[in-house]
Amino acid sequence: MGNIVSQSIVLPDTGRRARPMRWITRGIGILIVAIVLARAITVSIAEGYPLTFWASQLVNGLVLGGVYALVALGYTLVYGILLMINFAHGEVMMIGGVAGFFGLQLAQALGWMSGSVAQVAIALLAVMGIGMIGAMLTGVTLERIAYRPLRNAPRLVPLISAIGASLFLQYSVLLVFGVSPLVYQRPALISGGFRVGPVFIPYTGLIIFLTSLALMAALFIIVQRTRLGRAMRAVAADRDTAALMGVDVNQVITFTFLLGSALAGAAGVMLGFHNSVIKFNSGFIPGLKAFTAAVMGGIGNIPGAMVGALVLGIVESIGPSALGIPAEYKDIIAFALLVLVLIFRPQGLLGEALAEKKV
Amino acid sequence: MKTRSILLFATGLTVISLLAACAVPAQPVAPTAAPAEPTAAPAEPTAAPAEPTPAPAEPTPTPEPAAEAGKVVIAPGGKIRIGGSFALTGPIPDPGKDIRQAAEIAIEDANAAGGVNGFLFELVAEDGACSGDQGTVVGNKFAADPTIVAVTGGTCSGETFGLRPILQKARIPFVSPSATNPAITSEDCDVCNRVALSDALQGEVDAEFVFKELGFKKVAVMHDSSDYGKGVAEIFQNAFKKLGGEVIAFEGVKVGDTDFRAPLTKIGAGQPELIFFGGYATEAALITQQMKEVAGLENTKFMSVDGAYTQQYLDTAGAAAEGAYMSFVAGDTQKDKLEEFTKKYVAKFGIEPLKLGPFHGQSYDSVMLIVEAIKKVAQTDAAGNLVIDREALIRAVRETSGLKGITGTLTCSPIGECGAGGVQVFIVENGAFKQIYGFGIQ
Repeated sequence: MGNIVSQSIVLPDTGRRARPMRWITRGIGILIVAIVLARAITVSIAEGYPLTFWASQLVNGLVLGGVYALVALGYTLVYGILLMINFAHGEVMMIGGVAGFFGLQLAQALGWMSGSVAQVAIALLAVMGIGMIGAMLTGVTLERIAYRPLRNAPRLVPLISAIGASLFLQYSVLLVFGVSPLVYQRPALISGGFRVGPVFIPYTGLIIFLTSLALMAALFIIVQRTRLGRAMRAVAADRDTAALMGVDVNQVITFTFLLGSALAGAAGVMLGFHNSVIKFNSGFIPGLKAFTAAVMGGIGNIPGAMVGALVLGIVESIGPSALGIPAEYKDIIAFALLVLVLIFRPQGLLGEALAEKKV
Repeated sequence: MKTRSILLFATGLTVISLLAACAVPAQPVAPTAAPAEPTAAPAEPTAAPAEPTPAPAEPTPTPEPAAEAGKVVIAPGGKIRIGGSFALTGPIPDPGKDIRQAAEIAIEDANAAGGVNGFLFELVAEDGACSGDQGTVVGNKFAADPTIVAVTGGTCSGETFGLRPILQKARIPFVSPSATNPAITSEDCDVCNRVALSDALQGEVDAEFVFKELGFKKVAVMHDSSDYGKGVAEIFQNAFKKLGGEVIAFEGVKVGDTDFRAPLTKIGAGQPELIFFGGYATEAALITQQMKEVAGLENTKFMSVDGAYTQQYLDTAGAAAEGAYMSFVAGDTQKDKLEEFTKKYVAKFGIEPLKLGPFHGQSYDSVMLIVEAIKKVAQTDAAGNLVIDREALIRAVRETSGLKGITGTLTCSPIGECGAGGVQVFIVENGAFKQIYGFGIQ
């Protein structure tokens, strides 16, 4: 029900594919899963990690997943409405992080970061607000300049434009702010963390996870319960008909970019606080990961993006230990997962079948 | 179906962009070889066909190589061009900039001293980006440019591995101020030289320090998968094991990663007394910070190497850096020379060199070493051109002996190790590095 693409669309494809073929594919899929599981079990037994180890990795994964989810939602929202992949979305997140960095500098210069708890909390919210506004401006400008003129062009054209925009944004930031990372200084309030038994939970991690959940809930309410949300769903279902019914399509699309970019900006700022550094290419890999998460969950599907992102974050954290491979290959796990999902379950984990109707 | 195909297309793009991001260094372009091919001897008219011609004329040996091949000829008014490969982007831009600026000062000094027979020097700075791919690109650029006489750089080991085979083929000698991987110099590479000290030394001194001075027996080793970081981490690991210590983990991460909690959690399960990290400043700083958030690493110390021995490490890690150990391959610093250099540097660039990076002395000396070698072999011909024989220059660089530089008296070994000095170990105290062990300590 969270699918902003209309539910009435049903894929007639399944019947077309020959039965035996489907079973073979499914068999191979199950075989791969079984091999991976067997490897994970043997390695885990051999290594003998304690349970708290897995719990710690799960915490790492959930935090990572929270960040991915916020970015993935931007991909999914835009795809749902425009059927295009906004490849510059990772850069929107990065610019949110950069804007937040300057917000933080300002707050520090004003001395807010060393005041009372309430003051610091408000300052942190303000920093996040600045990051979100920076990202929203970027996202909307991007749509206006790079995508709107191409709206009726073949579908690959805006995709290419998006890749161009992504590089443009990266190297603009490189040019303006240089190659050295911008360092977020954490205020004392959110440094460190607390323990649940032997598992350490950093404050920034907890904030990321809770904030992502809150923002996702807010997004869900906006999409499902407000007038603009209804307009979004209408445009997603059928742009022309929605326009005929009096929906301002341009306004809806702008609003969609605003929403997605705001979430990405929040993610950028939180990532800055969590990992301390933001630089010109900080959005690239997280952007690809979030895209992966969105596709895994079923692109165009809001709960799917959240689930996909959390699964991806957890797999990335636990995977290297569980499969006994070096941590530098964690990206391979993530993208291999993407390829497997596309081969064996192209509609994504939660995805309903999408139609070719909108092409 | 369209949806699926566009997703597959997008995935393909993703894969391609990833591949592009970590592409294998391209094959070096063959440097311009001497074009003069021995022309086949024209058929001689044989006199008596019955008699077999006695031993057909041996192929005429290649006549004298063209005047340009093997020599750089600089017309009056031209500049002696020295290439520079500096890590201006990539993981350590500040040290890269420092090395470049020090090289510029050295060029200015050499020119102020009159250059060579009235010819002045010029630095051709390129961005080696601290990566093998970019090192290859820069190397090809220099090899394709017949006016490049010698090269200072590269800054990073990976970058220098990119330069190495290309410059070797193009017969351009290079002197690296800061590439420390042991394999940068070797017997089969006569153009490869460096002023920095090899990590073979640094890794061993570090292992000794940790094992004997700190008394730690159980450590974990991490590296950033770069040629430099992995190289020094392996040397440390082997040396530490040889001393009788236990290495509970050898974990790689990637340059540019920012979240190290997963590998750190894995390491934390073994509760090491110290984590040794081979790599650069940003990753080292983030590991230092994130260690504090991982179970099992609460009391674990952190140690890293010269790639992280920078102001940037201190700035990024902040308070978490306190108590971290850092080693550096220090030159045998000549105080008066360094002071004079620092004065010029500050006057020109308005910043203390140490604020950017530690290798400015080595960089200055690399250029000076090249300049002195050029002075020895350069000759003026009848037309007033300056002629530099490439092979003679390669030999002259290698034969450097007793050259007084900022980092001590430089004498190149038969394989091109020219640096003087030793390994120093520092601890971070009150936001600054303080030497506690090693070379030159009272």
